[in-house]
Amino acid sequence: MAMNTGAELPGPGTGTGGAEEPSDDERLACGRLLSEVWEAREDGADDDPHLRECPYCSAAVRQLDLLGAAVREAGAGREPEWDAGALTERVMDVVRLELRPGRPLPLGEREEDLWVREAMAAKALRAAAETVPGVRAGSCRIRPAESGGSPARGPVRVRLEVVVPLTPPLRDLAERIRQRVHGAADEALGLPVADVDVHITDVTDPAGAEEAQGPRGARDTQGAQAPQGVESARGVQAAQDAEEGNQP
Amino acid sequence: MPGDDGLLAVRAAEGDEDAFEVLVRRHAPGLLRLAASMLGSPSEAEDAVQDAFVSAWRRLPEFRGQSAFTTWMHRIVVNRCLNMLRSRRPVRDLDSVPEPEAPDHVVSPARAAESHAAAAALGRSLAELSPEQRVCWVLRELEGQSYETIAETVGVSPEAARGRVFRARRSLTEAMTAWR
Repeated sequence: MAMNTGAELPGPGTGTGGAEEPSDDERLACGRLLSEVWEAREDGADDDPHLRECPYCSAAVRQLDLLGAAVREAGAGREPEWDAGALTERVMDVVRLELRPGRPLPLGEREEDLWVREAMAAKALRAAAETVPGVRAGSCRIRPAESGGSPARGPVRVRLEVVVPLTPPLRDLAERIRQRVHGAADEALGLPVADVDVHITDVTDPAGAEEAQGPRGARDTQGAQAPQGVESARGVQAAQDAEEGNQP
Repeated sequence: MPGDDGLLAVRAAEGDEDAFEVLVRRHAPGLLRLAASMLGSPSEAEDAVQDAFVSAWRRLPEFRGQSAFTTWMHRIVVNRCLNMLRSRRPVRDLDSVPEPEAPDHVVSPARAAESHAAAAALGRSLAELSPEQRVCWVLRELEGQSYETIAETVGVSPEAARGRVFRARRSLTEAMTAWR
């Protein structure tokens, strides 16, 4: 479209040649540069009567159009049905063999010698947070609550980032998430948790929240809502962080 | 574009391979198409994309979300393809340029034959471009990217990206004109 001229596409062609001009550019018999003519075509600029009337420019444009037609024809018969499933399996086979060593976390009582990998525990806690409708969990870091020698046995502190539907009061929602995470850590994992910090990093439109539940959700409606959501999330996050700060 | 790529990438970076699997499944088709256009070979494209994802998994902890996950993946795949193209030497013999699949039955046989031949001619001329020109041309012509995005992906100035696309088009139009 014509709006491309200038702002989005600075460079040769629009300028008066010089250093930026591709060295193998061609000056047509009418004096125009081939690169300029093609660029005008690409930008859809049709406000230049010369381009319409000049036989040299028209011929140059026809060449480019012929190429475009050949590309489309080649493309039409050529979109193979990619079996992304098989590729995904192959990639994941490698990935699962390469699990990153994570920090070990203590399970059970102080005198026990039972540990769980952070990534594993984080997965369970994210899943617990996502049992609250519309909530998506992102980063989940689990650290010993008391600073000291690692790996230390003792309660841990969970820092969880979530994206939540914009359904006030957010404080109640955060509290519910906190409870679910606590519950899962206690009951499912047996991981002693001192604290759960819930950080709301973004909010989504509640109407689109149901779609956002599964890992395959959160499609177009989500994306469309993002700019507005991000802005309102700033304040929420700040408030949330302030609240966290007051906690023991 | 799916809105929760960033969230899944963060989870994957923290070692959640299930989150990574969702990303792979979601982005593999587009990246395969891109790699196939650059390499001209479906099987090589699969290798390139597979390697790119494995490399992405290893590098995810460094991915801080400065760009979208898809942009980051594009960059990894493009660089992989560039390296593969550069290591091909000499230019593959013409017979190895993959034949495009036959156009479907709605096209008349004569026309099908013609577009088949046009596609083959295009495939041959593409194989003769320099790796840099071919990659930039694919990103511009088939992926519809802006010169700024191409420049960023390939790691050159927008002017250089523009120049490469122009030179690729010159070579291709000349080849297509000769073919007609």
